[in-house]
Amino acid sequence: MKIVDRFEIPFYQYLNENSELADEIPPLAEDTAALLHLYRLMVLVRMIDTKAIALQRTGKLGTYPSTRGQEASFVGIGNALAKEDIFVPYYRDMGTLIQRGVKLSQILLYWGGDERGNCFTKDSQDFPFSVPVGSQPLHAAGAAYAIKYHKQKRAVLASCGDGATSQGDFYEALNVAGVWKLPVVFAVCNNQWAISVPRQVQTAAHTLAQKAIAAGIPGEQVDGNDVIAVQHRTAEALKAARENNQPSMLELVCYRQSDHTTADDASRYEPKEKREQEWKKEPVMRLRRYLEKLGAWTEKQEETLLAECAAEMDVAVKEYLATAAQPVESMFDYLYAQLPKAYEKQREELKNLEDVVHG
Amino acid sequence: MKIFHLPDLGEGLAEAEIREWYVKVGDVVTVDQPLVSMETAKAVLDVPSPYAGKITALHGKVNDIIKTDAPLISFETDEATSDQGSVVGKLETSESKWDESEVIIGSAKTKSPAIKALPVARVLAKQLNVDLTKVVATGPQGLITPEDVKNCLASSSSPSISTSLSGETESLHGVRRVMALTMAQSHREVVPVSIFEEADISALPLSTDITVRLLMAIIAGVKAEPALNAWFDGKTIERKLFKEVHIGLAVDTAEGLFVPVIKQAETQSAQALRERIDAYKKAVKSRSVSPQDMQGATITLSNFGMITGRYATPIIVPPAVAILGCGRSRDAAIARNGQFVVGRLMPLSLTFDHRAVTGGEATRFLATVIQQLENK
Amino acid sequence: MAEITLVEAINLALSYEMQADSQVVVIGEDVGKDGGVFRATVGLLDKFGPERVLDTPLAESMIAGMAIGMAAQGLKPVAEFQFMGFIYPALDQIINHAARMRNRTRGRLTCPVVFRTPFGAGIHAPEHHSESTEAYFAHTPGLRVVIPSSPARAYGLLLASIRDPDPVIFLEPSRLYRFAKQEVNNDGKALPLDVCFTLRVGEDVTLVTWGAMVKETIAAANTLQQEGIHAEVIDVATIKPLDMETILASVEKTGRCVVVHEAALTNGVGAEIMAQLAEKALFSLKAPPERVTGWDTIVPYARLEKYYLPNEKRITDAVHSLMEYA
Repeated sequence: MKIVDRFEIPFYQYLNENSELADEIPPLAEDTAALLHLYRLMVLVRMIDTKAIALQRTGKLGTYPSTRGQEASFVGIGNALAKEDIFVPYYRDMGTLIQRGVKLSQILLYWGGDERGNCFTKDSQDFPFSVPVGSQPLHAAGAAYAIKYHKQKRAVLASCGDGATSQGDFYEALNVAGVWKLPVVFAVCNNQWAISVPRQVQTAAHTLAQKAIAAGIPGEQVDGNDVIAVQHRTAEALKAARENNQPSMLELVCYRQSDHTTADDASRYEPKEKREQEWKKEPVMRLRRYLEKLGAWTEKQEETLLAECAAEMDVAVKEYLATAAQPVESMFDYLYAQLPKAYEKQREELKNLEDVVHG
Repeated sequence: MKIFHLPDLGEGLAEAEIREWYVKVGDVVTVDQPLVSMETAKAVLDVPSPYAGKITALHGKVNDIIKTDAPLISFETDEATSDQGSVVGKLETSESKWDESEVIIGSAKTKSPAIKALPVARVLAKQLNVDLTKVVATGPQGLITPEDVKNCLASSSSPSISTSLSGETESLHGVRRVMALTMAQSHREVVPVSIFEEADISALPLSTDITVRLLMAIIAGVKAEPALNAWFDGKTIERKLFKEVHIGLAVDTAEGLFVPVIKQAETQSAQALRERIDAYKKAVKSRSVSPQDMQGATITLSNFGMITGRYATPIIVPPAVAILGCGRSRDAAIARNGQFVVGRLMPLSLTFDHRAVTGGEATRFLATVIQQLENK
Repeated sequence: MAEITLVEAINLALSYEMQADSQVVVIGEDVGKDGGVFRATVGLLDKFGPERVLDTPLAESMIAGMAIGMAAQGLKPVAEFQFMGFIYPALDQIINHAARMRNRTRGRLTCPVVFRTPFGAGIHAPEHHSESTEAYFAHTPGLRVVIPSSPARAYGLLLASIRDPDPVIFLEPSRLYRFAKQEVNNDGKALPLDVCFTLRVGEDVTLVTWGAMVKETIAAANTLQQEGIHAEVIDVATIKPLDMETILASVEKTGRCVVVHEAALTNGVGAEIMAQLAEKALFSLKAPPERVTGWDTIVPYARLEKYYLPNEKRITDAVHSLMEYA
């Protein structure tokens, strides 16, 4: 008997729960301006997120999946992506999308039940919100193939949750990326819960990162609550993808500080103390304390920032609420490049329908 | 290349002797074709070909003994060389050519479509032995109804002249079709009488809005003789008199005749009437008149004289009972106070349904109309 | 002009379009080196190279998902599923993403993919290799479903499908792959989508069909012709969106209609045609419209296969019973 292979899964963290720096740090850890930028984004995201839940509870938004506690993961990813890279989200990625040109009001529009929430910016090549869990990493692999085919210097990043890693499509994406050497990074936001299913019940694998090993590509764990680690490791992975067609997988370990969505009640399955315990690791306060330690942040600045974010949020919410619904017949207008004759009559019928009120 | 080995020709025989070859090298054979006659200990029998192909070698001469399982014949077959190209299954191949003469994209240009009839009418026609092509349709969308089938049966006793067309014909649709059907129905049901008269409109200024004046004259006319502002049901022998005057105004267009209805004309001023007429003319041109606006006329005005024509026998569309036609006005010699003067005459043709209106009512109506027209 | 089989026509069309448009790529299992298990893609790897003819790992969902990602980035993938029985793992990708990408992003991203696969029974293959479930896709808004029935139509319709900016499910009747040859002009001319083809003109009955059943239907029409019954044969070709106009014009003329499909009877595409005949042609019908289809069973294994597929006699029997009415 001989051992034919072994594997190792590294874990990266630069700023720990006590806001202390590790020995080896990337340049970002000392770039105050960059860190302040990341901090502001995380604060804004948290504020909008809270507001979105409130909007849902007051009947002004549809079902909404909170991103609370995961701000560092999404903001870090968004900051690492180059403008010409392609982002393939799942549905919790507000922190990334707002750095890709998507307006806050558009994100609200999506959860408000309007397809235009997927329009993003006119020339965006990012993929839209993906609800079928784990289906979008394959799209990322396909886009990465096209990039390679067109000999472009770009990378693709697909995000998904821990639940998605059990889907066959997830493995199929890693597998083809590995064997065809595609410039794609798979970022798994492991917030420990897939609705009511905790991470331990999702798979017997010790880490999710090691699923990459089965596909022959590198996998690593990153502290998802450390925005410095997330940003740096994602940037490195994207660089490898862009420059060497080297795919990889990042498991961002964080915690879901909310229900799965506003239609869920986590108190039915989540141990009470768990969320409180995990809150000690939360990313926004972690970075704030560090910035304060550096003398780069004050209480006054915090107040100002909160006011600015509130103002920005107000504008976005107003814009969203003021956006009229699309004309009824738009249901037909984007099915095909040109609506086939067979459906023209139906479109006319719909157009002439009186306002339908569902009781 | 395939080699056919001598099979066990019966219950474990070890060998057989070649009696006679039926084929030679180079022959092309088919499956089951007899190749050779072999004699065994038990019998003489023919060995059929297991393959289709060309004989490339015979492994023995007549009288040679061949052992069971030894090579007997070599074949060259197609199967080995052609790429079967199918990981599972067997695809049928054939030498036949694709059987398509001329493919048409979309539908074949047809002559006039077959008859449209309510299914129940078809069944009835079959039972009563009525030829559907002879039936006049009066149902919605030009459908043949059971009633129509029965009517056809009733009228088919009389000898009919063949009216079927040959050569290049066109099927009538839309407004023309409705006209054909409606006029035929009117002819069947109404008992028309036409009275002709002229109105002396010499006193009217040339700028007079004649049409509006006619409308107002009609309104006055029906006020005097309400019998002409009514609907009549020939089946139940019932009549409905109307207080309101809904005047149908015949409008001619390239597509055919449209008759929009000026509702409650008696309540409207001259100006309002003119506006309504103009609005309808516009709507008819743009084919935007609603079906409601074309229904409910209690009496109709047909200004056919716009183009030419003095008198006519305009057709009443049931259930109405009267229609006033106005021909082309002209200058003419009139005897007035014992002398000839040049005056302007407007010919009028009134058709009334004599089932519901008397001659007296009709003439009194017409007299009132003319009086209204002639007075300034 | 060459005389070629249906599968060769597929190959010819692929070759033509890959030459004309550098964005067309072929992706599937065994499509490269092996040239496809039916040789539909034979020679393409040599001609266009491994970047354009991709031999994939064995993962159907991946084939569809990759194609969707590629298409969003401007490629025109032609994705092969080895048999229709194996397209099912890809249904999620096809229905939830390919059919919806344009709608979901209001046209910002689109999905010009052709998902092609051999389909239908009659080749005495093992289980799962005889599917005819076009109805699943015909029910999905945002998709087109195209089924050729001759080499010339396979060539022209595949070109049209590749050039179409929206996803097309292209179902190739495997039973006709090598059955008979036809002259096909390799001129790159596409045939129109969304329209039926009238293969025979007749006044007495309309036979509506598609795929491999065209063969039996034409044979039935020939037999009926000798009996003095002139059948009009319509090859639907584009199952979705359905060109009902052509079918209605024909039924208005003949007053009789038989729909022939090998897929199972209940809720097959024939049911949609029946519904529209009832809605729009009721007053032209001289007899109730009929369907001649596969039974509501799983397609049997090879031994009983011939009892499953509609044959010429079932079609002529149906026509005879229609002629008994008015």
